[in-house]
Amino acid sequence: MKAMNRRKFMKGSLLGGAAASVVAKSKSAEASASFGGYPEAMGVLVDLTRCVGCRSCEAACNKEQGLPAPAQAFDDMSVLDHERRTSEGAYTVVNRYEIPGQDHPLFRKIQCNHCNEPACLTSCFVNAYTKTPEGAVIYDPTVCVGCRTCMVACPFYIPAYSYSSVLNPVIKKCIFCYDTRLKFGRPPACVEACPREVLTFGKRQDLIKIGHKRIQNYPDVYEDHIYGENEVGGTSWMYLSNAPFDQVGFDTDLGNQPILSYVKEFLTVVPMVLTIWPALFAGFHLLATRKDAKNKEEKTEI
Amino acid sequence: MELIQKYLLSSLMAMLLCFSSYGTNALAGEGPDEVEIDSLAQLYDPVYFDHAMHEEVTESKCSVCHHHTLGTEIENENCMRCHAESGATDEITCQGCHSSKRFDADYLHKIDADNTLYHRDKVGLKAAYHIRCMNCHEEMGVANGCQDCHTRTDAGDKFFHAGSYTPPKSDKPVGGGH
Amino acid sequence: MKTLIANGKIPVATHYNTGKNEKLTIKDKLLLGLSLSEYLAQAFRNPLNWLFAVIFTFGGYVTVSRFFFGLGYVTHSSYDYPWGLFLGWGLFVMVPLSASGFMLGTTVEVFGRHDFKPIERLALLNGLLGYLFAVIFLQVDLGQPWRLIYPMFVSLGPAAVLFLVAWHVATYLSVQVAELVPAFAEWAAMPKLKTAVKKTILGLTIAGIILSTLHQGALGALFTYAPGKVHPLWYSSPFQWFHFFCSSIFAGLSMLIVVSTICKKTMAWRCDKSFLESLDRLTLGLAKGATLALITYLVIKIIAIAHDGDWGYLASGWGQWFMLEMVAGVILPMVLFTISIRNNMPGLARFAALIAVLGIALNRLNTALITFNWKLYQEIPHWREVMICIFIYSLYIVTYRFILYRLPILYSWKKDEDTASS
Repeated sequence: MKAMNRRKFMKGSLLGGAAASVVAKSKSAEASASFGGYPEAMGVLVDLTRCVGCRSCEAACNKEQGLPAPAQAFDDMSVLDHERRTSEGAYTVVNRYEIPGQDHPLFRKIQCNHCNEPACLTSCFVNAYTKTPEGAVIYDPTVCVGCRTCMVACPFYIPAYSYSSVLNPVIKKCIFCYDTRLKFGRPPACVEACPREVLTFGKRQDLIKIGHKRIQNYPDVYEDHIYGENEVGGTSWMYLSNAPFDQVGFDTDLGNQPILSYVKEFLTVVPMVLTIWPALFAGFHLLATRKDAKNKEEKTEI
Repeated sequence: MELIQKYLLSSLMAMLLCFSSYGTNALAGEGPDEVEIDSLAQLYDPVYFDHAMHEEVTESKCSVCHHHTLGTEIENENCMRCHAESGATDEITCQGCHSSKRFDADYLHKIDADNTLYHRDKVGLKAAYHIRCMNCHEEMGVANGCQDCHTRTDAGDKFFHAGSYTPPKSDKPVGGGH
Repeated sequence: MKTLIANGKIPVATHYNTGKNEKLTIKDKLLLGLSLSEYLAQAFRNPLNWLFAVIFTFGGYVTVSRFFFGLGYVTHSSYDYPWGLFLGWGLFVMVPLSASGFMLGTTVEVFGRHDFKPIERLALLNGLLGYLFAVIFLQVDLGQPWRLIYPMFVSLGPAAVLFLVAWHVATYLSVQVAELVPAFAEWAAMPKLKTAVKKTILGLTIAGIILSTLHQGALGALFTYAPGKVHPLWYSSPFQWFHFFCSSIFAGLSMLIVVSTICKKTMAWRCDKSFLESLDRLTLGLAKGATLALITYLVIKIIAIAHDGDWGYLASGWGQWFMLEMVAGVILPMVLFTISIRNNMPGLARFAALIAVLGIALNRLNTALITFNWKLYQEIPHWREVMICIFIYSLYIVTYRFILYRLPILYSWKKDEDTASS
């Protein structure tokens, strides 16, 4: 519910005039506190120590989402020779990372991290994105104009765009299998497909506890950090790793602020300009043209 | 709804009955010679697990796979804290403890509701197999690829777009636009 | 055109035919008082038109193909660089260069500097066309351009910065059209329309200031959605909007100097005395404004670096690129402007203005394309993308010229009584 208030506040500050600037003051304290996410939101804890790069998750995603046939078979491990990103034909991909000082490579599955406060959602000017109480960040292709600001905004480089489509190009990204599974309380297809439970599905809050417990039980194995617990305001998908996160392709410079907080500095300027400028410049006008007015007056008197 | 059911059947998690239950308080050498594991029946043919051979390899240290449940010597110190004296349990099969429905809403609720539960982060049946088998195979340096243990079915080939379903070779770069 | 004037043709500036009391038809006005064959003949004589013909043939084909084969055909379909040249050039460069409209509107209408009147309409037109073509660029870039009005009426996302940009650019376009209605009304002989708009001009101008401040700033604020992607030297959460707004001031003024110079050099026949005679003085006046904005911009840029603690980056390769942009694109024009103002050298001010325009173009391209994804690889636009940009920009120039030739922008319309009696 807090999230709702906050969105309303933002709407107000952009649209409103005088009233908005007053509201902005009283609500800014609340808005600056981080939204912890929906309490019942589900998530997935990805444990890189378990992944062997079998790509079953990719195959399952392809099937579940009805994506086009891949260029190479899902059991063809040669695709791991190049680092890949999500695309319009693959909502999740596994990459391999050679870790200095370790004899085994690490594998990292990437997909939409389903942020608590998604940058894509806050940047969308047609409100195509929704963060559902179940935790998924879903997308309505019927209103998308195709400005691709969400792709610019996503700190994880996740949303892809079907550039090849002429009449109906849309954003393509993982939606946590919301329509077919999550909505009915079932885990996404990749989680079910994973043979080694690299992907643990559960309530986000429980997963954080589980993650810390694993770190506590095996302090020599794990890095003492859950990536996504706090990054950019927290994400529904989180990661455990046995190598420093920056060596496994994670951006460790993202900070813990939601992307929205960087935009807010400008958003607070908006109501001020809206309210102050008219009076200010009308005043300037009166001052600057005082002489003209005086002259006119004198002329009429004569 | 039909689609969902169809998927359910074909998905990897279509867990069927596996390890048949056998006598409790089993001692080393008393286990079955062979166990049929067919929980991935949709995509893979059943796996015939040579239990007798693995008993030999582990020198009959049952706890290598069965944790504390057989009442044999436990090696993991962390488990020892509680289970040093706990003795053999009634349930010794894998699926007796490791749920084949690990992420079903019912299972998650059950864990949620039980504050006293210690083993909250217990992997499901499929992961229990794979983690146990593969980590050991890795250590021993024996065959460890998916199809070293599983023969993939036609449905499996289709799922992976492999075998007779392999996409034709093209010059297009992998993954499309960068 | 010059040869025609030498032959005794006088460009249309009244509703009446010279010598006769016949009213000119719209067709006469469109053909600049020439017959169709005369008009075409002068058009064919201009080598620039041949260049445009080539650009329109090839560029037009590529642009049309974008709508038949999709964005994937004309761009690299990059997921990492969702915005390419269409927005990098067409939106982020065009819009600040079009800030002249609100700047001169403010100067003349709000601050009452009526001595800038001769150039006010050129500034307004420069603004209007810049925005119009920015929208055209946007229409090429949008995946589904037919949904352009969705953010206005169908599905509103009012908390997004782009929502504000969309609304403000749309509103501001209408404001600029209204501001230029008097010019059109004079040309089309609709005096009532002119009086109606004239009454609201102060309101329109102030609306223009608000809208411009916000959307120029908003274009900068769009990049605050990508704090990790734009290089820190080109990025600053608290200052980004102000950098964009402040630089748009000297960008707009410099662009106006450049455009007025081009007008003076290439279409002197169309300019009237008051424009030609006051241009040197006005150029230096605009240069003064631009210099102040440049100084402010430089200072706030340095403050932003200090505030964000980005000094360390200056030593890197990106830092040298940044300093090149600042020295060549900001400090150099600032110094040249100052020298030109002190020594009354309008020619130097024109040169400085050109540098400032190029400098701001570099700054926007740096922010949107070059330093964007500085941790990844560099995207080089597809040749078709470049071709489309050249096409649309040529279209912009031709439209610009078409209007300047006709509407009373560079000249004042002669009052009916004056001409009818002569």
